[in-house]
Amino acid sequence: MDKGLLAYLLIPLLSAVIIPFAARRRALLADILANVTLLAGLANIAWLALRPSVIQGGFADIPGDGFSLLLVGAVYLVALCVTFFSAWFMPEGQPNRAAYYSLLLVSVSAMTGVVTSTDFFTLYVFIEVLAVTSFALITTDESAGGIEGALKYFFLTFPASALIIVGVAVMLLSLGSLSFESLRIAMSAEAPAAAVTFSAALILLGFLIKSGVVPFHTWTPDAYQGAYAPVSAHLAGIVTKISGVYAIIKLATLLRFFDGRAQALSEMLMFLGMLSIAVGALAALRQTDFKRMLAFSSISQVGYIVLAAGLGTPLAVMGAVFHLINHATFKTVLFLNSASVEKATGTTDMDKLGGLEHSMPWTSWTSVVALLSTAGVPPLSGFWSKLLIILALWEAGLRGYAVMALLFSIVTLAYFMMMQKKVFFGKKGQAAESSAEVSAPLLAPAVLMCGIIVALGLLFPYFYTYVKVVAERIIL
Amino acid sequence: MTYHNLLFVLAAFFAVWAVMARKLLTSAIMLALVSVTVSLIFFDFGAPWAGVFELSVCAGLITVLFIGGVSLIRTEEEKRPEGRARFYALPLALAAFAIAAWFYLPPFFEELAGAKVLVSGGGTIGAALWGLRRPDLLGQVLMLAAGVFVIKSVFPRRTEK
Repeated sequence: MDKGLLAYLLIPLLSAVIIPFAARRRALLADILANVTLLAGLANIAWLALRPSVIQGGFADIPGDGFSLLLVGAVYLVALCVTFFSAWFMPEGQPNRAAYYSLLLVSVSAMTGVVTSTDFFTLYVFIEVLAVTSFALITTDESAGGIEGALKYFFLTFPASALIIVGVAVMLLSLGSLSFESLRIAMSAEAPAAAVTFSAALILLGFLIKSGVVPFHTWTPDAYQGAYAPVSAHLAGIVTKISGVYAIIKLATLLRFFDGRAQALSEMLMFLGMLSIAVGALAALRQTDFKRMLAFSSISQVGYIVLAAGLGTPLAVMGAVFHLINHATFKTVLFLNSASVEKATGTTDMDKLGGLEHSMPWTSWTSVVALLSTAGVPPLSGFWSKLLIILALWEAGLRGYAVMALLFSIVTLAYFMMMQKKVFFGKKGQAAESSAEVSAPLLAPAVLMCGIIVALGLLFPYFYTYVKVVAERIIL
Repeated sequence: MTYHNLLFVLAAFFAVWAVMARKLLTSAIMLALVSVTVSLIFFDFGAPWAGVFELSVCAGLITVLFIGGVSLIRTEEEKRPEGRARFYALPLALAAFAIAAWFYLPPFFEELAGAKVLVSGGGTIGAALWGLRRPDLLGQVLMLAAGVFVIKSVFPRRTEK
């Protein structure tokens, strides 16, 4: 375990334990403690990674492999947006308010545990903690949709856990160790043992289910659509990325996909990535519910990350890491905006909405920034990550995949434009007549994330240097 | 040898308690204690990894899931008490088993103790748990915290209704 980042795991846990006691008399203290903990963590990470001397030194002083720190930063950022949004979104006097924040903080601790662990069993333990907290968070408002989503999430990701633990057992039997390092050494050998590759394939399959890649995506739309509104942003923005996609990128580098040590696995992963891009995008075109459409879009965008991870070359890994961070930013904005629309109009059915731009201009324009970034329109951050992925595919001679990835980017733009037209532009619908813009605190997280999307796009050379350092450290 | 027998008896005792208990919550806790004693047996037979995983997965993760599940259905369970008469035959069966075990189990344990010498790479509980698998302990603490908060999150709503 990366001990340098242990504090980012322990402090939220400590706050989670304190919150129920502190909030016994004044419920407001739960909101304050959760937000302050995450803000302090984020400020600390910004100091570690973004102070001028570190930037001038080309990020060489970043502790560990740099990947963990980057992801811990993304976890804290998304969680801060969600807790800040929840503080104003949640009705006063909700009985499980303190427990909600405690669960959010425990899930932050678990995600930090996932990205800092250096051993497959530890990874499994933290991922299970994340599954338990996600299950409870989805049902926060105890709606029928929430309970259905939570049950689907639980029952469809449970086989994934079973596959991972069987893979871990086979790995312990064949390799004698569970550390990432021993797998890396085993795969560097001239002829890696078949049992080791088999165990890694089982673990990989488990994580593919957890990340909601096609054909294991059936739980994703129901869980995201049914979940308590701010929790959808937490789940789609970061939880599924850490509990599934992160592990896939990590395995892709450990299995040395880049020098063809596990060629069949690499090809299978790329195919599933491409399938996810296509199925997710085509399904998103047909949706009439705002949140469900975002869920299918999420499946499609995860496909890009999996496609790049499956290719495994340094440039592809850079693209995958960058797209994972970008996905956390734009998907958080879109899901938080869907929550704002739901609060203002009482529905997320796109056929009943329309013309919200006049009454909710801030929500409308932050959506535009996020959707353009998702579709890969320059100079926003999503453009650069998709460019890196497409370039890596082209460079590796996989031109068919590169062209398909580009074409589905256009489909992404198409379904998002349709969504924007149905929800925000066009004639004022019945729901738009009586609705007004949500309060400034509810808008703040979306505006902050949009600022980050624009900044990451415009300051791409700096971020490229950072991601390059990460790719070099995790591959070589 | 006494240590093994004691652990075995304890495991059997907790297992029977798990079946006999009136409350599902007690059953779940007793099941966790069975896992703890079984993992201690693993440790003593020089299989610290098996012991640690038994402790982590069965006594830790599964127990939290059971307790969470039991908490969700507790109100329904209290409404419809279960007919438990047939379970009272269990202590009788256990007594018969104990008499048989008195004769047959000591040689079985002696054979297992002989196998212990063959196994290399053993270690103390402390070394295995603290030296090798320390991050898992942190995961366990997180899992317990998550379990408590899940119950705290679900209960207020149910009691209000």
